Amino acid sequence: MNYIINGFVEAFRLLLSFDPEITQIVLLSLFVSFSSTLYATIIGVPFGILLGITNFRGKQIVSRFLYTFMSFPPVVIGLFTALFLARSGPFGQFKLMYTPTAMIIAQTILVTPVIMGIVFNNATNSGYEVVLTGKTLGAGKRDTLILLITELKGTIMIALVTGFGRAISEVGAVMIVGGNIRGFTRVMTTFIAMNNNMGQYSTAIAMGIILMTISFITNSILYKYIIGDTNEYRD
Amino acid sequence: MNIETKNLIKTYNDDAVLNLTRDYNHLFFESGKINGILGPNGSGKTTLMKIMAGLISKTSGDVLYDGHPGNNDTPLDITYSSHRPTLFSRSVYENIAYPLKIRKYPKDQIQRIVTELLNEFELSDIQDHNAKKLSGGESQKTALARALSFSPKVIFLDEPTANIDPKNIKLMETALLKRKQLHNLTVIIITHNLSQAFRICDNLTFLDQGVCLYSGPPQGLIESSNPIIHDFISFNTLSNTEFQLKS
Amino acid sequence: MKKKLTVFLVIIFVCALALSFAGCTTTEKALEPGSNGEIILATTTSTQDSGLLEVILPAFESKTGIAVKVVAVGTGKAIEMGTNGEADVLLVHARAQEDKFMADGLGVERFDVMYNDFVVLGPTADPAQVKANASADAVKAFTAIAAVPSTFVSRDDKSGTNTKELQIWKAANITPEGDWYVRTGTGMGETLTVTNEKLGYTLADRATYANMKDTLTGLEVVCEGDPLLLNPYGVITVSPTINAQINADGAKAFADWIVSPEGQKLIGSYEINGDQVFTPSATQK
Repeated sequence: MNYIINGFVEAFRLLLSFDPEITQIVLLSLFVSFSSTLYATIIGVPFGILLGITNFRGKQIVSRFLYTFMSFPPVVIGLFTALFLARSGPFGQFKLMYTPTAMIIAQTILVTPVIMGIVFNNATNSGYEVVLTGKTLGAGKRDTLILLITELKGTIMIALVTGFGRAISEVGAVMIVGGNIRGFTRVMTTFIAMNNNMGQYSTAIAMGIILMTISFITNSILYKYIIGDTNEYRD
Repeated sequence: MNIETKNLIKTYNDDAVLNLTRDYNHLFFESGKINGILGPNGSGKTTLMKIMAGLISKTSGDVLYDGHPGNNDTPLDITYSSHRPTLFSRSVYENIAYPLKIRKYPKDQIQRIVTELLNEFELSDIQDHNAKKLSGGESQKTALARALSFSPKVIFLDEPTANIDPKNIKLMETALLKRKQLHNLTVIIITHNLSQAFRICDNLTFLDQGVCLYSGPPQGLIESSNPIIHDFISFNTLSNTEFQLKS
Repeated sequence: MKKKLTVFLVIIFVCALALSFAGCTTTEKALEPGSNGEIILATTTSTQDSGLLEVILPAFESKTGIAVKVVAVGTGKAIEMGTNGEADVLLVHARAQEDKFMADGLGVERFDVMYNDFVVLGPTADPAQVKANASADAVKAFTAIAAVPSTFVSRDDKSGTNTKELQIWKAANITPEGDWYVRTGTGMGETLTVTNEKLGYTLADRATYANMKDTLTGLEVVCEGDPLLLNPYGVITVSPTINAQINADGAKAFADWIVSPEGQKLIGSYEINGDQVFTPSATQK
């Protein structure tokens, strides 16, 4: 029990000293997860909307696949990405293994289905109505797309924040493709895992507190958006 | 613009939802008139409207616009307002202005048109409110104002005044009648409100279970000997004072 | 109002992105003293956890301008990385596997680098009486532990430590099996934590133990000094014939440096809490 308390005390001391290594690790984590969320949004939102508003054969099957991929284990994604990026793999010549780029690639693969799934679900439910209404008012293809994006804005925000949350908190994928290399690919989650393994609890706890704070902030934004939205639907 | 249907059929999964091929197989919705569509729930009224508005496809038969066949899409001069309209999550003003914005009307013209509409529909006080936060009556009025903003030639309305208070019903009917008189607007309206049907409609079409049992002047509906129509009318309260043909 | 909030958030997002990008690139540059390429060094978790590399690598990096990316994995994985050419140079402590690696033609050169030693740790109560009867005899200690049987925690991960542990069991003619033999399948640090929780026995490298001593309040050294417990390290440069991405020159530069007088001196000067942990052992040419 004692060492848990000591751990927290040490943690706060460490936090307040603004250690440059810790700062670099936090910034790298944010960079990797922000980037992958951004790319995942660019891919996932248009496709999610498109698939959502179209009624095509096999839509049921596609949505099943999509919802399954939303909760794919990060470590498995890391494993498969590593197989492709390894020197002996098909993309070996790009020397991507153990780089932040590889981590971004893996996390983008992880987050895209999440964003796509949330947008798809909402577009299926309410997107169709929006398209139809637009049609009755004379909206062409481009107008309809813009209309959809603005109407689904709330959903897109929720998807983004959810995706980011998933990215910043996973450890499996970034560990495998990144290698937790000091100064290059060490992020918050791999740092915590490593310090736990080494028995350095206070350092692990310190980073854990930082990670939870960031998580809290992003979820607060999400909360604000959801709460904001529900207010608008009240009669 | 007149709209006609000839031998129209619509099937969903081998079920004939609409089969207008027997008596009254040629429906004629007159230009510049208010055409009412009546019938019990599930009789195919909404399906018929959606086909004519180009929102869903027909299985067989013809739909003619001023004598010409359509192209499976919504012609630009036609608009449709559904039973529970989808308003955009922006202000009432922005909703009404939307059709004008996408048609690239100049800004001052948009302002003029929208302000007039806001006044006409008594929405000026709430023009900045989020359209998703409106009461039933306010949303219906906003939807109607939005649909009429670009002066369409034809408007399809699916129970636009269901659950609305009498004052607002009168307001909306007046708006339609005014445009019918001044701009020759063709209105095709589904209603369950018999007194409304007799109050504003120039002709009525009666559907039951996908089949048309009558299409013609309102008087003819009352005098019809068809037992289904008879039952339908007697179920709806009709007092003598409410009973008036359109003026 | 909602529009303002969205714009505000987008700005924050973009700022954060830019800031973090700036943050990580500048730090990267700081650690890359001149760009003379980089090498991937595959080593074991216990080597990394000992803290040695953090001390000696900067000297190499500033001398040659080559950045060293240290990937710390289990010995098995490190060897495998060498086999597949995923690493340029290996620093491991599993002689049998190292020799096989060289015999298979997968490495260019192999040198002795240094050695540290293993210790047997046990609970203060010492139910197997190791301290009394086998304080410098590893085989005897293991036999005593299995005889009770007392809890023994094994890494069970084909690491150098695990290989040594199995070597001792074999020498004692014992196949460890049963509820008393706990397999963690993880690194040294975690295995030590588990041993401390269970108040059992385990085999550990001295460096990791020294680093974690303060948290391992239930354990102490019960057997040490046996020549069998010596843990020699080798450095191997991976053969560039395996794939086109191997930095053979960088690997050679590293291997040459770590066995050079300068590298060896640094190794010998590394201390944990005042104690030397590694003994340099490269044969000077």
